[in-house]
Amino acid sequence: MNKGLVSGLVLLTIGLVCGILLSVVNSFTAPRIKLEEDKIKYQALEEFYTLADYDISEYEANGAFATIYILKEKGQSDISALVYTVSAQGFAGPVQMLIAVNSDLSVEGYKVVSHTETSGYGADIVGNNFGVSEIDDLAGFDAVSGVTKTSNAIKECFNLVAQRINSDLGGGLSE
Amino acid sequence: MNKKDNLLKGIIKENPLFVSLLGMCPSLAVTTSLENALGMFLGVFFVLVLSNLIISLIMSNKKLSQLVKPVRIPVYIVVIATLVTIVEMLMHAFLIDLYLSLGVFIPLIVVNCIILGRAEAFASENKPVDSVIDGIGMALGYGMAIMLISIFREFLGKGTITIWGTLQLDLNVIFNFLKIEPISMFVQPAGAFLTFGLILAGITAIANNKKNKLAKEVTNNG
Repeated sequence: MNKGLVSGLVLLTIGLVCGILLSVVNSFTAPRIKLEEDKIKYQALEEFYTLADYDISEYEANGAFATIYILKEKGQSDISALVYTVSAQGFAGPVQMLIAVNSDLSVEGYKVVSHTETSGYGADIVGNNFGVSEIDDLAGFDAVSGVTKTSNAIKECFNLVAQRINSDLGGGLSE
Repeated sequence: MNKKDNLLKGIIKENPLFVSLLGMCPSLAVTTSLENALGMFLGVFFVLVLSNLIISLIMSNKKLSQLVKPVRIPVYIVVIATLVTIVEMLMHAFLIDLYLSLGVFIPLIVVNCIILGRAEAFASENKPVDSVIDGIGMALGYGMAIMLISIFREFLGKGTITIWGTLQLDLNVIFNFLKIEPISMFVQPAGAFLTFGLILAGITAIANNKKNKLAKEVTNNG
């Protein structure tokens, strides 16, 4: 047989063996890799929920909203909670928040994830308690004194979520 | 060459980084912390030892080596790329912080001249046991070199030495005592070249000194 052809076949065989070996390693590392990547991706959500208890999916919204995380308790088909990535214009630029709302419209938590507000003034919104416990009742909203525009951005974020939550819980996110 | 000399040559006499100046690009890029250097060393150790073993096993079989010889470089690349992909998958799965920190330099181990160089220059012409010993020696030499560079760079650039994860030596007390700040340039690319150059100059000076002493002794005795 042609010597070059035989060498080519040897190379092909070695390549096949290597391919099989890689698929074996991939079969036991792939689930672990997905777990680790999800952990990083959903790190921000861990402040609100124990992620191991939920199946999480994502919905890419537009406009003021970015990703909306849909949480369903393991084995359940109904939505347990929604976590919105929402932004509104503050004093110096957009203020982006994560707002976690349970299916009974109670607010599980919220967090300012990015902003460009002035340090010592508008930046005080980070970690502040705005007194919001129900997404459909913002009467008790507690603004940060002296930073009206930044506080209004936070209130706008809550309002934007309030406007769409019922439709989202009713199946609006699967459209 | 006996087994001890075979092992030690990679660490000192034929150190791949400081003597042969091989695989410099990833070495200078990842040495911003000791942890990164340690991770890179583990990856290179795994790939170098196993690629030397596999290639030596293939090439020490007379019939097989005759068939492989015309396509030996593609065979080496396939073997090395497979091992590097395994390292990448394992790091991604079990050491994700290190994986993210080393980034593109893990897959780049495939084209690291040290590994391909040892496959062609040593493993293809020697027995499997000797090839494994050569791989261990070369990997240890490479590891020691990048760890030395990283210790200098991280200490001078950040005032710390990160061994693994949160296990970190905070040596900022030295900078505080001297009333100066760490020199952040050392964790940047320019600092890598500077550190490497200075270490290389030191090693060359020691080697020259040794050579001169030996020459003097020979002259005096002769």
